[in-house]
Amino acid sequence: MKVRTTTVAVTAVLALSLAACGSKGSRSTSGADQDQLTIGVSMSLTGSLAREGLLTRSGYEFCQQVINGKGGIPVGDRKVKLNLVFQDDTSSPDTAAQLIDQYNDKGYKLVLSPYGSAATEAAAAVVERNGQVMVDSLGADDTIFEKGYRRTFGVLSPGSEYAASIVEALHDLAKPTPKTVIFLSADDGFSKSVTTGGEKAARGLGMTVLPTQFFPNGASDVSAALSKAKALHPDVIIGSVHFVEGVAIIKQSKELGVRPQGFGETVAPPTPDFPQTLNELAEGVLGSSQWVSSGKGSDKWFGTSADYATAYKAKFGEDAQYHAASASAACLALVMAVEKAHSLQPDAVRDALASLDTPSFFGPIKFDPTGKNVTKQMSVIQIQHGEAVPVWPADVAQKPLIWPGAA
Amino acid sequence: MNAFLQSTVYGLLQGGLLALVAVGFSLVWGVMNVINLAHGAFVVVGAYVAWQLNEWLGLDPFIAMFGSMAFLFVTGYLVQRLLVNLVVNAPVFITLLLTFGLDLLLTNGLIMIYSGNYRAINTSYALKSLALGGVRVPVGRLLGCLLAVACSLLLVSLMKRTRTGLAIAATGMDRGAARLMGIRARHIYALTFGIAAALAGLAGAMLATVGTFSPADASKYTLFSFVIAVLGGLGNMYGALAGGLLLGLVESWAGQYLSGTLVNAVAFGLLVLVLVARPAGLLGRPFYESRLEV
Repeated sequence: MKVRTTTVAVTAVLALSLAACGSKGSRSTSGADQDQLTIGVSMSLTGSLAREGLLTRSGYEFCQQVINGKGGIPVGDRKVKLNLVFQDDTSSPDTAAQLIDQYNDKGYKLVLSPYGSAATEAAAAVVERNGQVMVDSLGADDTIFEKGYRRTFGVLSPGSEYAASIVEALHDLAKPTPKTVIFLSADDGFSKSVTTGGEKAARGLGMTVLPTQFFPNGASDVSAALSKAKALHPDVIIGSVHFVEGVAIIKQSKELGVRPQGFGETVAPPTPDFPQTLNELAEGVLGSSQWVSSGKGSDKWFGTSADYATAYKAKFGEDAQYHAASASAACLALVMAVEKAHSLQPDAVRDALASLDTPSFFGPIKFDPTGKNVTKQMSVIQIQHGEAVPVWPADVAQKPLIWPGAA
Repeated sequence: MNAFLQSTVYGLLQGGLLALVAVGFSLVWGVMNVINLAHGAFVVVGAYVAWQLNEWLGLDPFIAMFGSMAFLFVTGYLVQRLLVNLVVNAPVFITLLLTFGLDLLLTNGLIMIYSGNYRAINTSYALKSLALGGVRVPVGRLLGCLLAVACSLLLVSLMKRTRTGLAIAATGMDRGAARLMGIRARHIYALTFGIAAALAGLAGAMLATVGTFSPADASKYTLFSFVIAVLGGLGNMYGALAGGLLLGLVESWAGQYLSGTLVNAVAFGLLVLVLVARPAGLLGRPFYESRLEV
């Protein structure tokens, strides 16, 4: 019995030693061997952001398929295949940061961002400390880029553009032009960035901005904010919100008899769930989108926006949304940087990202010194007959704005 | 004044819905001393069953809710009999772990089946409002609130006037003595769990009618249930109703008169206040007080 116990113990020690050796070995490779580049991704596959996380993962996976389908990334005289490794962060920013740290221990120096601003912000701090490099797909909060980080690059337009683009679209297209606007905002960092940007744009365009009403992030009851808004009789209500609060604004406005000329909301309306959940109540609601399939620009991997949309639908059987497109664009930026750097070393890739200036199916990709992609313009969509139709800016618009927009 | 009345009415209606969510949770905790962390998942399953019946058969949610209740009753009965019963004598920490695991299983199972999309049951009437002076009373929420009151009354009548109800109450007070009186504790526990799950199913159908739902909402409903059960107190079937209405009202007033971001702080501040002033909860019986000390 004693011999058997000793044998088990020794075997266990040996197994642990071997595992440790393996770990050390991979650490020196920067996530890459001769033919493969491993990129770590922490993603909300379960938890409160699972829906958005799964859409984001689809975008990353689609990128991997396209790149590998075309032979891989040219690096010097060889081609390197992409190998994306996903782990579930359960929609928790702390877990996302831990996973990024673990990727570093495994030698994965290049990473793609988790879903959302909170997780991306947590991950960015770890990336900076470890000397990793991260391309951010869907963390739009401006504060991520205001901390002096040098190794995080966001392909998407920053949060401050979300509501501002709706305000500009209304100013350009709505007749009669709305004179008063009220922002109803969730209280998380991203939503507050959105609101601040929207308020600034509205004041700049001569609109009267009524006192903003806040409610907790994720609230399914926004009746108090709507009651206060109702008393102020705004021409337009703009929600700086996520999906749940966005739907609550529309549904509870109906219940409480709040009837402005129109509603604008940031991230909820472009998702197919929005018109499906609200039916005719969704009609006329404006939303801002990072990407639309009628967008301009193309690249050698994905082609045009329309090509991307067609290929995505062929693979997944559903229309591409901006979540997936933004994820694919982040992956694309990393691929382009690796190709440009002729290297898989993180410092070289980081420098290549910083100097990237290229068109793509997602729009132009060019980062300012803080890592924000400031050259890309957001689009504004409106729900018309159950579809999210681009209405602004003019070069991507597919139909004219219907105004007043409230159903 | 109008704003005050509107926020009061809306808060009461919202509170009624919350009470409906919590009443089953409170029942199980009071009778079995099990804090069912999967309760929110049961609510969401109830919403999906009603939604599925609406999609397949076009059933109105006020009819589909019976389907939800039946499905959840059977599920709840079996879950207790085959799973929770294995650890019902164990320390409360073990039942917490088990029901937490069950919650993960159900929530992620729903994500696998339904992909985590947000859904709602749309009806022609739920979002319409009755106008009483300057105050609007949404029909869907009003019906949900009335159902919560009706369920509480039914539950009280079940517990006080039927042999099964008396057996449930007796088992909750002293299982050993109840068994000596010939009560089959295992069956009574499973029945209690089944009733609680059915009530969760009913709440899910109502929530799907007035709002949206997705698997990720499960933890939110469990948290609401916990707060309401503690607020209202255990051992009194009106406890959840009182706790729910109070929570809804306070949240609504806080949103109306303070910054909206303070709503949660005020709600949880109220919880602390009630626990300091009345450790057994608003309507809780002193016998059950010890169960709150977990």
